[in-house]
Amino acid sequence: MADNNKVIIIGANGTMGAGAGCVLAGAGYSVTLLARTCEKAALGFADAQNDARAEAIAERLSVGAYDSDLARTVGEAAIVFESLAEDLPLKRQFFELIDNSRRPDTIVASGSSGLSVAEMARGRSDSFRRNFLGVHLFNPPQVIVGTEVIPGPDTDPAVVKGVVAMLTKRLGRKVIVSKDMPAFVGNRVGFKVLNETAQLAAEHGVAFIDYLIGPHTGRAMAPLATVDLVGWDVHKAIVNNVHANCEDEAHESFAMPAYMNAALHKGCLGNKTPERGGFYRRAGKQVFVLDPKTGGHENYQKPAPIEFVEKMKQLHHVGRYGEAMKVLAEARGADAEICRRVVLGYVSYALNRVGEVAASSADVDTIMSYGFNWAPPTAIVDLLGAKNTVAMLEKLKLTVPAVVEQAAARGGRMFSGGILEYGRTFVG
Amino acid sequence: MTKPAPVYVLGGAQTDFARNWSKEGKHFVAAMREATLGALEATRIEPREVETAHVGNFAAELYARQGHVGAFFLEIDPAFSGLPTSRHEAACASGSIALIAASADIEAARYDLACVVGVEQMKTVDSTTGGDILGTAAWYEREAKGIEFPFPKLFGRLGDEYDKRYGLKDEHLAHISAVNYSNAKRNPNAQTRNWFMSESHAQHESKFNQVIGGRIKVSDCSQVTDGSVAIFLASEKFASAWAKRNGKTLADVPRILGWGHHTAPLEFDTKVAESRDNAYVLPHTRQAILDAFKRAGIASTAELSGIETHDCFTTSEYMAIDHFGITKPGESWKAIEEGVIELGGKLPINPSGGLIGAGHPVGATGVRQMLDCHRQITDSAGDYQVEGAKKFAMLNLGGSATTSCVFIVGK
Repeated sequence: MADNNKVIIIGANGTMGAGAGCVLAGAGYSVTLLARTCEKAALGFADAQNDARAEAIAERLSVGAYDSDLARTVGEAAIVFESLAEDLPLKRQFFELIDNSRRPDTIVASGSSGLSVAEMARGRSDSFRRNFLGVHLFNPPQVIVGTEVIPGPDTDPAVVKGVVAMLTKRLGRKVIVSKDMPAFVGNRVGFKVLNETAQLAAEHGVAFIDYLIGPHTGRAMAPLATVDLVGWDVHKAIVNNVHANCEDEAHESFAMPAYMNAALHKGCLGNKTPERGGFYRRAGKQVFVLDPKTGGHENYQKPAPIEFVEKMKQLHHVGRYGEAMKVLAEARGADAEICRRVVLGYVSYALNRVGEVAASSADVDTIMSYGFNWAPPTAIVDLLGAKNTVAMLEKLKLTVPAVVEQAAARGGRMFSGGILEYGRTFVG
Repeated sequence: MTKPAPVYVLGGAQTDFARNWSKEGKHFVAAMREATLGALEATRIEPREVETAHVGNFAAELYARQGHVGAFFLEIDPAFSGLPTSRHEAACASGSIALIAASADIEAARYDLACVVGVEQMKTVDSTTGGDILGTAAWYEREAKGIEFPFPKLFGRLGDEYDKRYGLKDEHLAHISAVNYSNAKRNPNAQTRNWFMSESHAQHESKFNQVIGGRIKVSDCSQVTDGSVAIFLASEKFASAWAKRNGKTLADVPRILGWGHHTAPLEFDTKVAESRDNAYVLPHTRQAILDAFKRAGIASTAELSGIETHDCFTTSEYMAIDHFGITKPGESWKAIEEGVIELGGKLPINPSGGLIGAGHPVGATGVRQMLDCHRQITDSAGDYQVEGAKKFAMLNLGGSATTSCVFIVGK
């Protein structure tokens, strides 16, 4: 890594670019925010100030435009962080420009949330490829500290080590190293569940599914509300990428629901299109909810309470997470079966990624807990009991991950932390 | 006075002070539960071994419309059924009063193992209501009623009093803030660990750093925090057996070497009037420190490795510097300028980030300070460890320095 403090952000006018600028400047780096024009970069500058809630962060930020400033500033930088739209040809075009201007030891990181690191680096110089890697931040980066580092086939292991240390120690991030596979670990696991709930909403309705598989199942926010927050365009890009490029046991869970494609076509992108909405649309205090059957938005009506859901919420409310999971395990009826299938499906799919895209179950836990604010899958196994988890998975005809099988045979706990580490992910 | 039986500190755990328990849809008992179960696990103590519990809490009645907080300890584990529990309140020093009460139980040989839990859930109300609730830590009718954010104003006046007697530059207060925020970045449980702060941000009034009252800006203030901390205090008998079964000796276990506890008149003006001819602005706080030193058998801060102090505002840390005797009265600025108080300095203050950086769940703060002293003495403070720490002091204040509690922890 070059021995200076200079970082360049490419695509600094976007949410992630400005957020990354805020995080890096906050850690003491001298950050140049680059965009197509200085005016656009200034938008990122203002966002970074707002993100930091400090005008004084300006002392560590400057702005510039690609045409006039990219070659010069990249030539002086220790790190270049690319945060352009998820458009491979566009990214490759910029990496070529960067390759021409960078110092031999400048690190180039792509913030892509799922594009192939190998593909992005293809055709670049040896020195570029050795110093190139993915650094996937989650939105908003100044709040969500989970981070994935994705080495490409030619990335120097020392560069990976240095970047992980810098992210962990200097930026206070929770970091895992993921393999260069579609959507990496976090989005692969997370969007499997999100898209599965979107599929279920086609039959059961949006409000009902968000209630049934709500925060009490171990997530900060209900799943379909999360898709609205992420943006339907982003959701589609991620699930389509996995659906097209991964053949795994949950392949069909990545099929974008037809009603979502139809709504997207009409410009429903979630919270970023407030007039059109997504699963939800708000007008003043009034909330409307999408009817997947008609494609229209209807008045939101709170779903009728379900006994086991209310019991779980009450138990989380007083910090009895294990007892709440026991209620889920033992609840009767079709609703409980749907809920169990999604929660156990999450555990199965997440922990079955160990040895594939994730190095360990601890890494899966870290990224789901600190990237998504979801309960770590192994904490769910511990709360249910490993043997019981195996029995439940078998009953639901879901894959039993090898690590869960081993835990059931070995006895003892899987999750590396305790209640203080997972408690926050169960919401009452 | 005969020397009381020693009180050992076995360790404990705290919740992440960045959490918002209302957003998580939770009652404060969930926080007590997590902290206590975490403490049991960290110390390898069985629930059935706990003989009594003392809970520090300031205002659950106002924040959560719930009194009788001590009884909630029983909700943590079935083995706690029937245990003698109590709740202690002295505003922001509630946690320390719980520690003193638990220590007294051990010293009197009533019990061999006490659990002390501090808890406060503050994010149940908006900031104006919260400010008003905190006003009850002053003489509410006279000093807080109808005043927006009364406490920053009271501690602003502490700064004004220093200014009048000795001169005070706000840049020194800004440095205190910057040091606390910087230390908090090393503390994985600190509320502000991912927040932006710089000396220049702390120095200047701006859109994001507004004046809250008098000379106090947002950056001079501690945080509104939800959190709970649990810690175990034990007799020599229990500590010996506990050390043995964990492969340690009694000499490895930190203990409370000394303590001090003084109460000053409730009203700030009365305090200041009383100290008019005294070199120390808050002589009762000074006396609590001297009492702790005497009981611990130490002559001065030269024998300390660091201090966790009550920086509810930068002015209270400024006060602590000269009241501990690090400088002559009125010369706290010298220690600030010389870098004495910084991590790596001669006498680091608030390596954890203190109330400004780590957070201030009012009734839990004293217990958190004790836990951080324990972490320092047992070399388990991670990235905010003061190298080779032997003796640590803590100062916990209630109200406008009405209640002053000091502990010295060491081996």
